[in-house]
Amino acid sequence: MPRADVVVIGAGLAGLSCAAELAERGARVFLAAKGMATTHWTHGGLDVAAPPGAQTSRAGVHSLAATNHHPYRFLAVDADAAVTAHLARMSSQGMPHVGFLDDPLTPIPTAIGSLRRAAILPSAQAAASEPWADDGLLLVGFRRYRDAWASYSARNLRNARWPGGPSEIRAVDVELPGLDRLHNIAPHVLARLFEDPVWRSRALSAIAAVLPAGAWRIGLPAVLGLDAHAEVHAEAERAFSHRVFEMASLPPSVPGLRLFEALRRRILTRGGRIQIGFDVVDVERTGRRIEAIHTEAASRTLRIAADAFVLATGGIGGAGIRADHGGTLTERVFGLPVAAPSRERWFNDDPLLPHPLEAAGIEVDDDLAPPELENVRIIGSALPGMHYLDERCGDGVALASANRVARSLAASHAVAA
Amino acid sequence: MSFHDASTREFPPFSTDLCIKCNVCTTVCPVARVTDDFPGPKYVGPQAQRFRGPGVGSGAPDRSVDLCSGCGICTRACPAGVLIAETNNRARAAIVEERGSSLRNRLISDTDLLGRLGVPLAPLANIGLKNGLARWMGEKLLGIHRRGPLTTFARRTFGSWWKRRGGAVALPPVPDPSRTVVYFHGCAVNSFEPDLGRDAVEILERNGFTVIVPRQECCGLPFISNGLYAQARAKARRNLASLAEFARAGYRIVGTSTSCTHALKAEYREMLDLSDADATAVADATWDICELLLDLHDRGELDVGFAPMVEPLPYHPPCQLKSHGIGTPAMDLFALVPGLRAIDSDHDCCGAAGTYGLKVERWQIAQDVGAPLFAAVRASGAARAACDSETCRWQIEQSSGVPTVHPITILAESYRRADTAVEEPWRRIV
Repeated sequence: MPRADVVVIGAGLAGLSCAAELAERGARVFLAAKGMATTHWTHGGLDVAAPPGAQTSRAGVHSLAATNHHPYRFLAVDADAAVTAHLARMSSQGMPHVGFLDDPLTPIPTAIGSLRRAAILPSAQAAASEPWADDGLLLVGFRRYRDAWASYSARNLRNARWPGGPSEIRAVDVELPGLDRLHNIAPHVLARLFEDPVWRSRALSAIAAVLPAGAWRIGLPAVLGLDAHAEVHAEAERAFSHRVFEMASLPPSVPGLRLFEALRRRILTRGGRIQIGFDVVDVERTGRRIEAIHTEAASRTLRIAADAFVLATGGIGGAGIRADHGGTLTERVFGLPVAAPSRERWFNDDPLLPHPLEAAGIEVDDDLAPPELENVRIIGSALPGMHYLDERCGDGVALASANRVARSLAASHAVAA
Repeated sequence: MSFHDASTREFPPFSTDLCIKCNVCTTVCPVARVTDDFPGPKYVGPQAQRFRGPGVGSGAPDRSVDLCSGCGICTRACPAGVLIAETNNRARAAIVEERGSSLRNRLISDTDLLGRLGVPLAPLANIGLKNGLARWMGEKLLGIHRRGPLTTFARRTFGSWWKRRGGAVALPPVPDPSRTVVYFHGCAVNSFEPDLGRDAVEILERNGFTVIVPRQECCGLPFISNGLYAQARAKARRNLASLAEFARAGYRIVGTSTSCTHALKAEYREMLDLSDADATAVADATWDICELLLDLHDRGELDVGFAPMVEPLPYHPPCQLKSHGIGTPAMDLFALVPGLRAIDSDHDCCGAAGTYGLKVERWQIAQDVGAPLFAAVRASGAARAACDSETCRWQIEQSSGVPTVHPITILAESYRRADTAVEEPWRRIV
């Protein structure tokens, strides 16, 4: 196995974008992951920071940076460059986005009929974030498709507090051609159907036929194609003569599949390598340096040597940190110490409050290196001090930490070379 | 495929408790992509597993698991460590055990028998394999699709060539496990592609290895894929009995089929429950030939005197290779050959999946799974393509029309060219 400059462990947003940035900067990068990851479960937008009270992502970043333990206290300076680089990368892969750090965090309707605040969205979701004025919201569901229910979303949205929301919210269900003959109607199955120009044109006509008169914006399940989704989205807007936006629903998330595939291709076309499906089972360590990792294999192990190792395996909600029954938390690859609240503080009286363990992670210095290992960097939700569900900062921290690490490792590699 | 921890190692179906129902596996399944009849790995694996067990009936809840081609991509994609493909294979075997198997499946799995019948009759048998009427009858009588990817029998087996050559078949009197390897040729090299075996021997000998070819049979993988575990175990036990003494003496066992070597490394233990000392020793000693050559190169011991091969080369890493967890060593070796422009297909599966693509009721699925790969191979304009597993090669060659060879064939040609090349005059001047 040829030696790599950098091994990235983990295939979520942090690991993929770090590997992409490294490959773009000419480093020989090897991405190893035990499986596919969180990209497939996300809504496809970019949560940089939306803590309660913040009006923009930038304000959110600043307010989180001011808290004691949050990774933004030293990563806030990287947010601009990291988000800019990510959006440029997405755009080059045919996935343009709208919005940036200074745009207002706007309530976006979700598939269960709640509202989440977002500012940076794939262009196929953009129409949901524009001012509603006198437009109504028409949610379109597909009969026999069990992963998104337009009438359920519409009912909840009508009951939601939505200042500046649409003038009216309605739902309509449509019979798409041929679905009565299918057994397995999953999001990616519909997305592949939408890639077929002939079926797509019949499906869009079927939807157009049931649209009521008036000024509507149309919310569809996020299944409008994979590779060709920009084309499908544009064709839908032409067919309906209305703005159209996608709403992600149950996993697998089609916007997430597109995100994963865009980053995967970017890494490969820039000469990076990817191995998915094999866990790290051993590491070679000399003093404060890691020399190589070993991934599991059908027999023996695969040794992957590199100058630096980036840990992007996720936190307690991902695969990077494990808890045992006795209350000991373990970082699974390098056995690094985990900063976490003590066992008796693992419980909340209110189950809906942020969970104390969400903030568990690996302590690092400003270069994102843990004190124990000099050529290891920690990125993404393995960093401590975040409550990313409430702060909605997971994507921003992933990108900012990935970007900082990739820039500094690529620079040190260029010097060494 | 992959081991995770002690609790799942013994019995893959237990790993289905780890499923978090995220559906990542269903998005990557090549069979589910092309047919609605297959509900996907999650449904036939972790979901259905809850309905299987003693007294429930092995076919529960239905028989759709039999549409699984066994490519293994679901196991690799799973973020939770569920051994999905392995669970599905065992479920199919349970159905076969309860309800029996077709004559067709028993026949196409028994590659050693086919070889014993076909090789002596090669001229005649090959006419049959190429004859439209004979293939039509094969489809009607047996259910082997008339356009299924079959190759032709060799006129002489690899084994008989080795015998005539006077090659070693037993442990050498003076042990030398560092420079001697055992070659596991498998049934395909023996009965269909003996030239590939000769190329492998040539390359190994060129790099200073003495080659031993001990008694061996088909690895049993075709039986495993068809759920015929009893027959597979019989093959496996005889291979283990023959190979274990070499493995325990420190000899590496090298194969040219990533399918056979994966069976020796993983499937004997993960599916056939053969996890005794012999099976472990053989698994630990088994190497894919490209894996071995790349390891040699990492140590600076590979002869890198490759002559230029100026050609584009579409390369398809087969599913079985991907399950080895050894990367794509052929691509790293191709990079050592001047002028060779190898292109990784970046495609999940060719569709053949061993005997799957031969079956009349599966042929179209197999073609649809591989269609983007065939199109890419054709569009490359290359004179040939490369792939490490035999049935994948036959499928790609037949469906794309582009001759498809083992990576070793390319490397052996390059070495031979280096030997015959006329020395450049300027070299002598210097």
